[in-house]
Amino acid sequence: MANIRLENVTKRFGRVTALQSINLEIHHGEFFCVLGPPGAGKTTLLRLIVGLEKPDAGTIYIDGEPVNDVHPRNRDIAMIFQNLALYPDKTVFDNIAFPLRERKLPAEQIKARVAQVARMLHIEHLLERKPGKLSGGERQRVAIARALVRTPRAYLMDEPLANLDALLRLEMRIELKRLQEQLNETLVYVTSDQVEAMSMADRIAVLYKGVVQQCDTPDNVYNLPANRRVATIVGSPPMNFLTCQVQRTDGQLNLVHSGFGFRVIGSDHPLWDCLCRALPAVQEVLVGVRPEDIRLYPEQPTDVIAFPARVAVSEPLGAETIVDVQLGRDIIKVITPPTQYFAEKQPVWVAFDMAKVHVMDVQTGARIYTTGAPEQLQCILPGTCA
Amino acid sequence: MTQRPTWQIVLRYILVLIVVGWFTFPTYWMVTMAFKPKVEWSTAHGTIYWVPQNPTLDNFETVLTEYRGRFFRANQSSALPSIRSSIIVSIGGTLFALLIGTLAAYGLSRFSTDTGELPWYIALGRLGLLILVLLPFMVLWAWLGIIRYWYGILSFTLLGIAVNQLLDKFLALFYRGPTGSLAFSILQLRMFPPMAIVIPVMIMWSAFKLIDTWYGLIAVYGVVTFPFVVWLMKSFFDEIPRELDEAAIVDGASNWGAFFKVVLPLAKGGLASTALFVFILNWSDFLIALLLTTRDWPTIPVFLNSLVSSEIGAQHGPKAALGLLAVIPPVVFGILIQRYLVRGLTFGAIKR
Ligand SMILES: Nc1ncnc2c1ncn2[C@@H]1O[C@H](COP(=O)(O)OP(=O)(O)OP(=O)(O)O)[C@@H](O)[C@H]1O
Ligand SMILES: [Mg+2]
Repeated sequence: MANIRLENVTKRFGRVTALQSINLEIHHGEFFCVLGPPGAGKTTLLRLIVGLEKPDAGTIYIDGEPVNDVHPRNRDIAMIFQNLALYPDKTVFDNIAFPLRERKLPAEQIKARVAQVARMLHIEHLLERKPGKLSGGERQRVAIARALVRTPRAYLMDEPLANLDALLRLEMRIELKRLQEQLNETLVYVTSDQVEAMSMADRIAVLYKGVVQQCDTPDNVYNLPANRRVATIVGSPPMNFLTCQVQRTDGQLNLVHSGFGFRVIGSDHPLWDCLCRALPAVQEVLVGVRPEDIRLYPEQPTDVIAFPARVAVSEPLGAETIVDVQLGRDIIKVITPPTQYFAEKQPVWVAFDMAKVHVMDVQTGARIYTTGAPEQLQCILPGTCA
Repeated sequence: MTQRPTWQIVLRYILVLIVVGWFTFPTYWMVTMAFKPKVEWSTAHGTIYWVPQNPTLDNFETVLTEYRGRFFRANQSSALPSIRSSIIVSIGGTLFALLIGTLAAYGLSRFSTDTGELPWYIALGRLGLLILVLLPFMVLWAWLGIIRYWYGILSFTLLGIAVNQLLDKFLALFYRGPTGSLAFSILQLRMFPPMAIVIPVMIMWSAFKLIDTWYGLIAVYGVVTFPFVVWLMKSFFDEIPRELDEAAIVDGASNWGAFFKVVLPLAKGGLASTALFVFILNWSDFLIALLLTTRDWPTIPVFLNSLVSSEIGAQHGPKAALGLLAVIPPVVFGILIQRYLVRGLTFGAIKR
């Protein structure tokens, strides 16, 4: 068990800055996910922690001790590489036994330990085979076994499930989560799959272009994304962003889009504070709503305020249908239950879940405000205000 | 498909036979000659014997046993010392080249900080400048009369290295860009024809008293074949994913441990084929051994060349016999390692 801390860590490769001033603290026994698109610097982050790369600036601490100058073999961290890196000429047994042999453990002890781990991962019958003769899922397990066979201070896993088929991935996801709960060890898990991160992590760090965008619990990352990037990376399909004009007229604050409008009520409202006092020059904001927080109605509903729109494309996925809707001048994606059928060009009514509307800065993409409760913003139909 | 007419098939076989015959006849001639008695291999009688009439082992006996004073310009009258010499220097040179070449190749494959190739005009200009600067010193050394002695050679070599380094510093003043690759420089060593370097090496070796010694020959063979080892082994190492060494290190191995326990076993096929290739180069070398040996350590090719008697001229029969014996080691070596010559050992270890 270990506590890993990165302080202002920067890593460059020539002109590419792979990681920029990373500050992270990974706690004892935590399942910590690093989520980011390809090229974000996820692998580089793990390589820095394990010691295969040296940071250009900043310090890495393991259990409070700076380890910048500690050789990787002495950091006592196990890592599963993105390509697994099984030793192709050694049998599965020898692969798993390698870390123990390096520690000069007696042969019987090695045998017992390998057998124990193999049983845990259901690969006892494979011990005499070479990695080349294994299926993808079996290789995955061998790589995990090689990491689990010793008791390091932390485990690092680099997209371990990325190349498995969907079903196996689902299975391994559950197994890994259970395993981590059993071991109760620090685990840094890198993935570009937001579902993996959301379902397994205690905390998620969202990495984009070498910068940590947000580091928080899955709940918060999903419900209160720090900025537009995070909202795009987490969630599928990604959040809809709609540019709205900010109208400040006779003591009223309105956010107006070509297809809908919101009214901010009361001058003690946080948005009023922000847009009228702190940033009086801002003319536009982004309104973000997730596809799952939007409802479509074939007829105008009477119980909620809905905005008229038109269906562009409909994409049935079985369990749900993703409908592209033309709302004003923008197209938004909406997740609807498959029981509802929408034809192309069909007029529909769009209603937002008013408790889950985000407002973001146009320039920086940073989230300014999230409603949280339905009464915070009032819907106004387009054309009903100036 | 229609059946070809018979005459076409026959013609094809005839053509194949001619080509195969063309290439295998010399081998056939050598093998048969090795077993012919003197009357059959010498042309004195004016008859050509296509097939040995009275096969005999006389030729083998002639080369393998002493006939003191009978023939041979070399001071040896039996091939045994030259066989011993060939075995020692070829194996020694091969091991030497493999040892330094493999380590260098691993370093180049994993830790190289090469910045890319130097543009050709800079490379050529630099070479010209180097020669231009060194030439006056060479004249000076010659004028001082020290170029023939070991300290003259040593001091000139050191001077050359120093000038080379200074030239790099000088170049860096006005040229920013790739500074060349070490791997390519090593390959360039091979672009010298051996003929070009063997005379200066002979002068140096005689100054260092290394002429006609087994270690002197091993040193030259090692250096001459070193670039081959580096390039072949580097390509084998490049094929082994870096993550394998890194995994070993993370699992607790030292850098050397990762190399010897993980990387080298994976490259053993490449190592074996490199060894065979280099061994054949050393084994069949004539020029270097001719100039660097005199009495004690001539190798088989050098001895072969000297198989001439005062009575009847060239000893073709014994030459063929010794040639046949000389074919054996590379062939046996090749058969022994043939399973390693098959590539693809790393298949399946890495998910792609
Ligand atoms: N050894 C290297 N030399 C040069 N550039 C590198 C090196 N390693 C990584 N990079 C660069 O650093 C950036 C981050 O790379 P990294 O491999 O960490 O991304 P990643 O998030 O792991 O991506 P992926 O999901 O594709 O594995 C990329 O722009 C990459 O090109
Ligand atoms: Mg990666």
